[in-house]
Amino acid sequence: MSLSVDEVRRIALLARLRLSAEEERTFAPQLGQILDYVAQLDRYAGADTAPEETPALEADDAPAPSMSREALLRNAPAVLDVFVLVPQVKVTSDE
Amino acid sequence: MSDELWTLGAEEIATAVRAGELRAADVVESCLARTAAVEPSVAAYLRRFDDEARRRAEEVDRRRAAGAELGPLAGVPVALKDNLNLEGDDCTCASRILVGYRAPYTATAVERLLGAGAIPLGKTNLDEFAMGSSCENSAFQTTRNPWRLDAVPGGSSGGSAAAVAAGSVPLALGSDTGGSIRQPAAFCGVVGLKPTYGRVSRYGLVAFASSLDQIGPLARSTRDVALTLAVIAGADPADATSSRQPVADYLGSIERPVAGMRAGVVAEVDASTLQPAVRDDWESSLDRLRQLGVEIRAVSLPHLPATIAAYYVIANSEASANLARFDGIRYGRRAKSASLLDLYLDSREQGFGPEVKRRILLGTFALSSGYYDAYYGKACGVRRELERQFSAAFAEVDLIVTPTSPTPAFAIGEKVDDPLSMYLSDIFTAPINLAGLPALALPSGNDQGLPLSLQLIGRPFAEADLLRVGRAFERATGAPAMPAGLGAALRGSTDGRDTTAIDRSGAPS
Repeated sequence: MSLSVDEVRRIALLARLRLSAEEERTFAPQLGQILDYVAQLDRYAGADTAPEETPALEADDAPAPSMSREALLRNAPAVLDVFVLVPQVKVTSDE
Repeated sequence: MSDELWTLGAEEIATAVRAGELRAADVVESCLARTAAVEPSVAAYLRRFDDEARRRAEEVDRRRAAGAELGPLAGVPVALKDNLNLEGDDCTCASRILVGYRAPYTATAVERLLGAGAIPLGKTNLDEFAMGSSCENSAFQTTRNPWRLDAVPGGSSGGSAAAVAAGSVPLALGSDTGGSIRQPAAFCGVVGLKPTYGRVSRYGLVAFASSLDQIGPLARSTRDVALTLAVIAGADPADATSSRQPVADYLGSIERPVAGMRAGVVAEVDASTLQPAVRDDWESSLDRLRQLGVEIRAVSLPHLPATIAAYYVIANSEASANLARFDGIRYGRRAKSASLLDLYLDSREQGFGPEVKRRILLGTFALSSGYYDAYYGKACGVRRELERQFSAAFAEVDLIVTPTSPTPAFAIGEKVDDPLSMYLSDIFTAPINLAGLPALALPSGNDQGLPLSLQLIGRPFAEADLLRVGRAFERATGAPAMPAGLGAALRGSTDGRDTTAIDRSGAPS
């Protein structure tokens, strides 16, 4: 299966990746080649595609100390008081 | 004697330190000196903790002098793959996107090593976010194979394997999603164990593919791997996928005889397709197992040939979801962008390398509307079937054996432009992660100086069986060698090794 540069660009936006023109040109045939290889799954796959369910450890529903807010905020690139700063999310129509 | 302490194994060091026959400080000094000698050629480490290691060693010696009970890894220098969190240190995953991140906590497996008295000497190089089979996908440096410096050390835990092989440390931790402990162990001639899924807590391991990832040890002997597994294994409330299965006495059972055990050889593996040296080594490995009294039988895993296809769909689908968290908001690199969408796009463009982008694209595609059933759904179907086939095979045999890698270490740069060819080198290792099984990579021979390796695959939680057979095989093979001349090459010897400077231009400041 071949992928066009436009398709690669569409997937990249879904993945929140910006690619250079050179990356788009490199990735399109490489991804196509990998998908061709993956197509052999058609010959093997059975009807049962449900992922296996594994029993998980259940934690006791008891309060316990967690990591401090200060420790977590220390890694944020931009902070105001106890908040992580981000660019404006909602753009109003009169702006 | 003290000049050569770096050659000791973890068990020897811990036993002598606990008995007061050896000072942890002397062991650490010897390993630091060895590291300083080999690191300019090998470049296994992204960061080293020389001063902190000396401080920790003195603490071990002080506790010993005060009569305190020391742990099973007292005074043992260890290297940690740089996708394991260690509080207060960076955790780069060899990616630019995590430059500036400081771990606010320590991974459970690392915490258990520290609790047992181990002393971290540094964090080791890897393929970015553990995606790769050569360490060439690191954003910062290319690690070299201690056996031949123009060859790759394997990946993604290539830095950990190279550090152990070069004699910098007797023990390292890696992580394995599709072979990332076993393949570098094979390429570097050391022992590497991928434990059963759930055997070791993944808390504090930066996630690549959560249904496949496992932390495990690399060492120069099966006994040291057994000793380490006993320390890091066991349930952890912080990882809901960790298992409550009791942890076996791996070291206590490792010397038991193996005669009468049954080992399966997979009928779908066509030995004629192996490189001649790998095939010869594989056949002599089977002979060695027979001589140990292990019965070799054929088993069938009809879906094995589809494994790489299924693996790359599942692993990359999970990776595309896991790596969505690296968005420039809460940690790591943030681009200076005006809008939120541009901030995501720019931060990820600048932060991720080409292999990570390629895999995120593949995973996003496989999970996208209209393609989910065709790719992810079918891959999960193959995985289920493969699990059933392994389970049926283990009704007939106690373990399954394959070569660990279809080739010895390849040359640096050889596969870097051919991602599919790189992926196919995981043919014997990736199926084990899909089925959640334990597998041990064991040095078995060499091809023109490059190590070759045998893989032992076990039933879920049967690590003790693998270690026992591995130990018997190791005894029959002789102690694994260390690369001769490494370090000496730096003192001006002209043994033909490439000792040109390592490119560290990408190293974070």
